[in-house]
Amino acid sequence: MNLNTQFVFDSKLKRNLIIGMVVGALCLVWSAIGDDAFYTRFWSNYLHNAVFFTGIAFTAMFFLSGQITAFAGWMVVIKRLWEAMSLFMLVGIGLLLVVVIGVWGHLHHLYHWNMPGITDPSSPIYDKVIAGKAGFLNPVFFTVGTVGFLAIWYFWAYKLRQNSLAQDKYETPSFDYYKRERKWAASFLPLGGFLSTVFLWLLVMSIDPHWYSTMFAWYSTVSLFLGGLALFILLVLYLKAKGYLEYVTRDHLHDLGKYLFGISIFWTYLWFDQFMLIWYGNIGEETIYFKERMENYPILFWGNLVFNFVTPFFVLMRNSTKRKVGTMFFAALIVFLGHWLDFFYMIKPGVRLAAQEAIELSEGAHHSSLDGQLKHHGKDLTQHVPHALAAVGSASAAEQGHHSTAPSKEHQESKETQTSNHPTSADGHAPIEEHVTHASAAEQHHDGDKQENGHSSGFQLGYSLPGFQEIGVLIGFLSLFLFFFFRQLERAPLLPLRDPYLEESLHHTTGVYLEEEEADSVSAHH
Amino acid sequence: MSVESKKVLYGLYNDEEDLKHAVKVAREGHLDIMDVYTPFPVHGLDPILGLKESRLHILGFIYGSIGAIFGFLFMSWALAKDWPILFGGKPYWPVPSFIPITFELTVLFSAWGMTLTFYTICGMWPGVKAKILDNRISDDKFCIAFDITQAESRMVSGLEDFFKRTGASEVHEKII
Repeated sequence: MNLNTQFVFDSKLKRNLIIGMVVGALCLVWSAIGDDAFYTRFWSNYLHNAVFFTGIAFTAMFFLSGQITAFAGWMVVIKRLWEAMSLFMLVGIGLLLVVVIGVWGHLHHLYHWNMPGITDPSSPIYDKVIAGKAGFLNPVFFTVGTVGFLAIWYFWAYKLRQNSLAQDKYETPSFDYYKRERKWAASFLPLGGFLSTVFLWLLVMSIDPHWYSTMFAWYSTVSLFLGGLALFILLVLYLKAKGYLEYVTRDHLHDLGKYLFGISIFWTYLWFDQFMLIWYGNIGEETIYFKERMENYPILFWGNLVFNFVTPFFVLMRNSTKRKVGTMFFAALIVFLGHWLDFFYMIKPGVRLAAQEAIELSEGAHHSSLDGQLKHHGKDLTQHVPHALAAVGSASAAEQGHHSTAPSKEHQESKETQTSNHPTSADGHAPIEEHVTHASAAEQHHDGDKQENGHSSGFQLGYSLPGFQEIGVLIGFLSLFLFFFFRQLERAPLLPLRDPYLEESLHHTTGVYLEEEEADSVSAHH
Repeated sequence: MSVESKKVLYGLYNDEEDLKHAVKVAREGHLDIMDVYTPFPVHGLDPILGLKESRLHILGFIYGSIGAIFGFLFMSWALAKDWPILFGGKPYWPVPSFIPITFELTVLFSAWGMTLTFYTICGMWPGVKAKILDNRISDDKFCIAFDITQAESRMVSGLEDFFKRTGASEVHEKII
């Protein structure tokens, strides 16, 4: 066995990945053609993939830190792959910087809380709920919580990598490395654990600014971790097929498979808990999130479970399937695509709703500063919103229905009515809360006027399901990720030869021996 | 498991690598090992001993499936059909609130089912006396045991010779 393997990033692979990136860029541009006034499809595609692949890099770093902190020996042979993945956070800073610039320059409408005037009580589009969250949901905090946190994480990943490279220069395997490495790894765990919640609240959960879920950060981080793990398994299998990593045995694959299986069940637990707590609590502004998705995005909603729970659960349940290349490839591919879809499901419906609402609002508001912002987009918005005024009207009716059930709130809001003199805000902050109150109140009081709602949440490619453009953008971002990954992989030997746990990792065994592989297991271990 | 007592010849080793080597030698010499006892699970021992993969987990899956189906159907029958009750404004058949209990019953059935099956296979009924060869096999000794109830004396001396050759620290005979 030749242990001093050096990965070579050959020109053919380079060319293919560059072609992939070009395809992705073209598809990104394609998704902007024929888009709405805010270029919602273009921006949501960009945000979806940028968050997903940056998040994968983060979870790779988190996993690596956990393993180093625990003195885990088994993964030393694949340590360099995790390192290479974690360094993609550098590119992630650049990718998310574009989203941050978009927030500051109001270039997109991914985040409804970023609409000018939404926290201003005198504005016709004033939203009391969002105004209450303005201390957190504002451009400054958004910048710090996304790009800023990412920069901190990257610094830790960079330090871990530098230590790992310095270890190669030792004469003999030494634990000195672990003394330094563990400080960085162990300190990253709370840092990554706590900051990632804010990171995902800001980037993903704040797309639905009225909605909140305490399970969300867990749920989405685990989703990212599974996406990263599945991609990692695919990369291990790819590198093995190319003739690298011959020392990665069935036992290593088995342990990766256990992670994929176990964490998939953990993901399901979180998915179900988030759903059940909200279903059981039955609070309007929480349930509307699931109501919208179950009614209008049933394929995404149930497909999510099929991809991310049913498939890994039944495919990876047996020992033998975790030790075979074919079944592991299948399961990892499904889980990778499944969690990409999971993020699609988390982002797209919310973004679509926010954009529709904003277009309606701006139409109903006749506000000068708002007109200025919309002219910026150079489109006549009236053609997109034939029912905008009807929507505002039905919203106020719904709001009145709401009043009768909540006397204390009515009192509060009638005060607001006195202070406000604008025609559309006479019903409090009806327009913004329209989709909430409409769904909960109108359901009981006037079921028939769903058409007047103005929200067209029917099937639409790019939102209800990924279209060609979305798949192209996925290929593009994946190529970018892999390009950077292979660049990093080529810069260091694939095997950290001076790692004190190398021998343990090379002789790693799970204690499972299946009859069909009995012969070569015995010869491999003895 | 037979109830009759057996005459057993066993050797104790100090190291699991010695044990693995000895088992390999015994298998090559076609010696019929009765059992091997170790204080902790020794990785890589199963294939050397030629043990097949346990099928207990297949039963575990079946037990779990029975538990899931039973739990779900029972709750559905009790709360939606036999005596419909409204809880917290939820429908008569509130599927999401059944899921946690269905999960618990899956675990319960598969755990109890597997445990009872395992005890049955091993003959571990209540009141069974433990047949312990040597107390130190749960401490620091690794043991290979041969059943010599019907063996000729020439065979027994051959086994003793085997223990000596493979570095056993002690060799004993015991009737269990």
